[in-house]
Amino acid sequence: MTDSINKIVIVGGGSAGWLTAAIIAAEYETESTPETLGTPLTITLIESPTISTIGVGEGTWPSMRTTLQKIGITETEFISRCDASFKQGTAFQNWQNAGDAGYVHPFTPPQGYEELDLAGHWLSHAHRPPFAEAVGAQAAVSKSFLAPKQITTPEYAFNVNYGYHLNAGKFAELLQEHCVQRLGVHHVSANVTGISSHENGDIKALETDTHNVLDGDLFIDCSGSAALLIGDHYNIPFHRVDHILFNNSAIAAQIDYQDPKDPIQSCTLSTAHKAGWIWDIGLPTRRGIGCVFSDQFMDQGQAAIELKNYIATAVSPQAGDSAVFREIRFDPGYREKFWHRNCVAVGMSSGFIEPLEASALVMVELSASMIATQLPANRSAMKRTADQFNDKFQYRWQHIIEFLKLHYVLSERKDSDYWTQNRTLASIPESLQTALENWTHRGPWHHETQRADDLFPSASYQYVLYGMGFVPQPEQRLKRRAKEQERRAVELFKENEGITRQLLAALPDNRSLIEKVALHGFPKI
Amino acid sequence: MSNYTILRPDHHKDLCVDMRRSSALGDGVSQVLTYPLEFRDIQSCYPIFFIKDSETAAFMPVALLGLDTGENLFLGDDGWDAHYVPKLIERNPFLIAKPTNPGPSESSQPKLSIDLDSPRITDGHGEALFTSDGVPTQFLDGILAMMKGIHEGLEHSAQFSEALIAHGLLEPMTVDLTLAAGEPKVLEGFYTIAEETLFNLSGEALQTLNQAGFLQPIYMAIASFSRLNDLLSRTHSARQRIGAG
Repeated sequence: MTDSINKIVIVGGGSAGWLTAAIIAAEYETESTPETLGTPLTITLIESPTISTIGVGEGTWPSMRTTLQKIGITETEFISRCDASFKQGTAFQNWQNAGDAGYVHPFTPPQGYEELDLAGHWLSHAHRPPFAEAVGAQAAVSKSFLAPKQITTPEYAFNVNYGYHLNAGKFAELLQEHCVQRLGVHHVSANVTGISSHENGDIKALETDTHNVLDGDLFIDCSGSAALLIGDHYNIPFHRVDHILFNNSAIAAQIDYQDPKDPIQSCTLSTAHKAGWIWDIGLPTRRGIGCVFSDQFMDQGQAAIELKNYIATAVSPQAGDSAVFREIRFDPGYREKFWHRNCVAVGMSSGFIEPLEASALVMVELSASMIATQLPANRSAMKRTADQFNDKFQYRWQHIIEFLKLHYVLSERKDSDYWTQNRTLASIPESLQTALENWTHRGPWHHETQRADDLFPSASYQYVLYGMGFVPQPEQRLKRRAKEQERRAVELFKENEGITRQLLAALPDNRSLIEKVALHGFPKI
Repeated sequence: MSNYTILRPDHHKDLCVDMRRSSALGDGVSQVLTYPLEFRDIQSCYPIFFIKDSETAAFMPVALLGLDTGENLFLGDDGWDAHYVPKLIERNPFLIAKPTNPGPSESSQPKLSIDLDSPRITDGHGEALFTSDGVPTQFLDGILAMMKGIHEGLEHSAQFSEALIAHGLLEPMTVDLTLAAGEPKVLEGFYTIAEETLFNLSGEALQTLNQAGFLQPIYMAIASFSRLNDLLSRTHSARQRIGAG
């Protein structure tokens, strides 16, 4: 056995496994090339023929555009093959109060965000439009079911920033085909039956029911909630967070459009109910609608009624009655370590929380791309990479959990214990308590960013805080540049009105654009 | 708006068309579609750029006639002020179109159509389309031949653009111009031949392009660039005339 890391084995073939394989295979040659020296990387993905994938995670972040581009899938192929639509953010309803006007958390930061914090200027106006609409065009674009770009916009480029909604099953299929046919990834269809170890405790090989043994230098656990390597084998403890984020259950349904020409939503709709919330994701072919809840506060039957009622109103009473529900149970939380010895967990094996800000796929992208770019040259160098990986992703999990918690803490709902208990101090991480205390004096802006690669930029905090009716106290001290800044703010608001008007006139609706993409494809340039 | 109708001797026997070039007759356009088979003539008068079709995002070559929307610097008081009139200017008010809903007995072959709402349609002056016996005039025969040429030219052009994209031979280009008065002028949404890529193409790729008849028009498009200077000086003269007037 040599010390160098040349053989990677990935366990599990859902979107996490195939996305990880693709991201790593796009970074390294998988076959020797005559022109270059060096060793190709062998990547093998073992997938159980009997275990079906969970198929959740139907929303992505804008990062997915770069990821797809890097792994060499054209946007036209991706959209056509995965029933994808464009996602421009999340539209929240009933979170502040049942029956509220709702708010949008768009992917585009406020106008002039680098130079001026518009929030203070927005707050000082008595009759103000919703924050997201005052400072950007995307909320208005989304409300009109408009696409983030035109057919003439080059692939992966945009007029307003966007990610995707997609069919997770079809996405895994496309990635598999791409990995095997174009990126030289080996695909083994077999069940893992045993694990053999080196003397030092590293994994040596996987025993399988068809393929004898698969040996490797680095093993990536994408086996989902089964967590075959990181959990079953290494027993890395699981850090539960259900004392912060109460939701641990979901029921999901796929609903046809009433009319196949019905408009496609530009945002994920997130509508709060008594003990959780309902997601509503518009693909070109169907809507994916599901109810997230905490079984401490609501039983399956009540959740089903919530979901039926929602579908009845949002789609049709018949759709509500005939919907077939799939149940999902999860423990919110994450592993205390993700990278242990020569094994690293990616996807649900590393942790899972409610999909409130669609963080599942982006965490896979980030994990895989760190593995790909920081792949240790040899076993001796692995410890440091593992430490860095663990540090980074622990921070990221905490960051996501606090950001999700923020949505609950700001709520004014009193219609159930679920909502009131969500605001008890014991359930709020200390750093979020401190942040909230600080924000009452000064809302978040650039200084909020702690690390350069923070998952949620400070603009996201602004959208949620001001969307939920949070009002910091105005600055009491006199500012030298107050007048000048006010003038600039007025200019930026005006600019935004102009841009919004232009975009509303120029952008096609989601469905027309997706139909055009199927016919003509996006241009490469 | 235009109102294209398939030309039929029984319906349109008495029609005449005014074929003079003027903005009153619809020639006031700042760019016009062209195709590789006329690049040799086009490049001797006008710069060639590529733009995207707003409906299909397909790339199409255009000849640039002016810098502002509706500004045609090649329209003089006495008609067209250049030795070659682009074919897609000359074709007005005719069009070759496939029937939208051909009946069972009709062919789906493209047919010569005419825009009945065009200001060129007259009741007496200009060129007659048919003789009193309903036979096409020599003029109309000429139009028909030209329209067939355009039709073939555009089909060839679509393949040309696809080949350019396949070989990575188009690149976006922003033209920063300074008009004589120091006024900056930026032309956006244009694409040109990516010369760097062209120079690095393999012999095999060059041969493929050449056999399809694409290599010559590629170099014609590159050569057409120098016509930008002429366009600038025409812009300058036009502004001076406006200033003086």
